[in-house]
Amino acid sequence: MNVIVFESVHKVFRQRGFFFLRKPGAETHALKGVSLTVSEGEVLGLLGPNGSGKSTTLKLISTMLLPDRGEVLVQGCDTRRHGQEVRRRVGFAVGSERSFFPRLTVQENLEFFAALENVRRRDVSGRVESVLSAVSLNDVAGKQVMKLSSGMYQRLGMARAMIKNPAILLLDEPTRSLDAAAADELWSLIRDLSFTGTTVLMATHNFEEATAVCDRVALLKQGELIAIKKAGNFGARELRDFYLEMTADSVTEELRIGVSA
Amino acid sequence: MIIGKIIAVLKKDVITAVRYRNGFVLSNLAQVGQLATFYYLARAVGPQFRPEGMPYFLFLLIGTGFYTFLLAGTHSFLKMIQESQQTGTLEVLLTTSTPAAVLVSLGALSAFGEELLQFGIYIGAGIFLFAPVLHISVLACLLAFGFSILSAFAIGLFAAGMQISMHKGSAMLWALGSGAWLMSGTLFPVAALPKPVQMVSNFIPFTHSLAAMRLAVLGGSFAATTREVGILAIFALILLPAGIMFFSWMVRQARQNGTLSFY
Repeated sequence: MNVIVFESVHKVFRQRGFFFLRKPGAETHALKGVSLTVSEGEVLGLLGPNGSGKSTTLKLISTMLLPDRGEVLVQGCDTRRHGQEVRRRVGFAVGSERSFFPRLTVQENLEFFAALENVRRRDVSGRVESVLSAVSLNDVAGKQVMKLSSGMYQRLGMARAMIKNPAILLLDEPTRSLDAAAADELWSLIRDLSFTGTTVLMATHNFEEATAVCDRVALLKQGELIAIKKAGNFGARELRDFYLEMTADSVTEELRIGVSA
Repeated sequence: MIIGKIIAVLKKDVITAVRYRNGFVLSNLAQVGQLATFYYLARAVGPQFRPEGMPYFLFLLIGTGFYTFLLAGTHSFLKMIQESQQTGTLEVLLTTSTPAAVLVSLGALSAFGEELLQFGIYIGAGIFLFAPVLHISVLACLLAFGFSILSAFAIGLFAAGMQISMHKGSAMLWALGSGAWLMSGTLFPVAALPKPVQMVSNFIPFTHSLAAMRLAVLGGSFAATTREVGILAIFALILLPAGIMFFSWMVRQARQNGTLSFY
C-alpha cells in the first residue's frame, strides 16, 4: 500500500515584495513535476546535490510547505486540504540546535513536544524514556539542551520526531554530525522502525548510508526526479558512480527515462 | 488533552523564566515609580478635576494599569511568534499535531498570566499606597475583564498572523498601541478629544474596556456598566472568530510561500 504519493508536484519559491518591486525572474523552481510513491514500511533515500529539492520534498510531506501544483497525499490525506490529519501521521526529525528550547533539559523538551503531539499525560514519561533509550540519550536526560553536542542534537531531533509514534518518519541528513558508531546505531534503529511498519524518507549525501539503510534511492537534480533504483543492487561505490553519471550535466534524457522505467 | 497542553506550556515557560530569573522584580519597582508619578500628577492637577466623576488618580490607575495589561497581553501573541521565528522553533511547532491557532494561544497564555500578575500588583500597590475609595461591582468587573481579554486575544491573533506572513506584526501593534493610548481614554477622558476622533475611539475595544472597568470599580452597580459590557461582548463575538480565521489563513499563506522560517 502506498502511504506517500507525489503526483506531478511543482514548488516555486518567489522573491517577496510588491508586484512592481519584484525582480523579474527572481524565482526558484524547487520541484518540477515530481511524481513518486512510497509504500508502507519502505525506507526511501533521497540523493542529490545541494539545491536538488531533497529538503523541499520532505517539507512538502510534513506540510511545512504546500505544493503550488500537483498533489501530495499522505495515507490518502491531501496535505493541502487535510494538513492537520497529515501532521498527526508524520514525524519530521529536525536536528538543528535552534529548534529546541535551550534552557530546558532534554527530558523537559521532549515532555513539552509530547504534550503538543497529543501523547496522553500518563504515557508521557514512559514514551520519553523509550525514545531517549532508542537514540541512546538516557544519560543526558537531565542536561540542559544548550549544553549538548551537535551529534546529540541530531539524535534528540530523531527522538522528538519519534515521540508520537508516527507512521511516517522524515529524516534530513540524519547522520550528518554523528561519529561512525552512533551512525551505525541510528541505521539499525531506522531498519528496526521499518520492520515494524514505519515508512522512512531520508535525505542524504552519504552513499554508504543510502546502500546500508534504504530499500530504494531516488536521485534528484535541480528539482527533477531523474531516477529511482533499488538500493540493494548497489555497493556504496557503484551507487556513487551511478549518482555522478546520472547527475552529470551531459546525461541524456533517454538514459534518465530508461533508468527510471 | 488541552489541559495537558496548557500544563506543558506553562511548565516550559515557568522553567524558562526561573532559569533566566531577571527583570520581574525590576519591572515591579518601575511600576511603583510610575504610580508615585501619577499620584503627584493628580495632586498637582488638583481635586476639582474629576474625569468621569472619579478622582483623577483613580482614573489614571485604572486607565494605565488596564490598558498596559491589555496591550501587553495582545503583544504576547506577537512575542511568541517572533521568539519562535528567531529561535527557530516555529517550523517545528507548526508541524506538531496541535493546530496553529491553539499553539499561539497556548504560547500567549503564560505571558498573559504574567501580565495579569503585574496588573494585580500595580492596582494593589496603587490602592494600598494611595488608598483611593472604591465601590466595586464584582460581576461587572469580571464581565468587563473577560470580554476585554477576548478582544485582546483576537487583536493578538491578528498581529501574530501579520507577523507570520508579512513580518509586520510589530508595526500593526505599534500603530494600534499608540493610537489607542491617545484615543481610548488612558490618561484623560475621551470627551476631551475632538468629535471626529471621539467617533474613531468608539471603534477601539480598549476604549470600552477602560470605560467599563472604571464604571465597575467606581459605580458599584452592574446596571451602570451594561452598555459598555454589551459593546465589549459584541467586539469579542466579532473579533475572535475573525482573528482565528485570519491567523489560520496567514499560516497557510506562509506554508504556501515557504516563509514560515523567515523573520
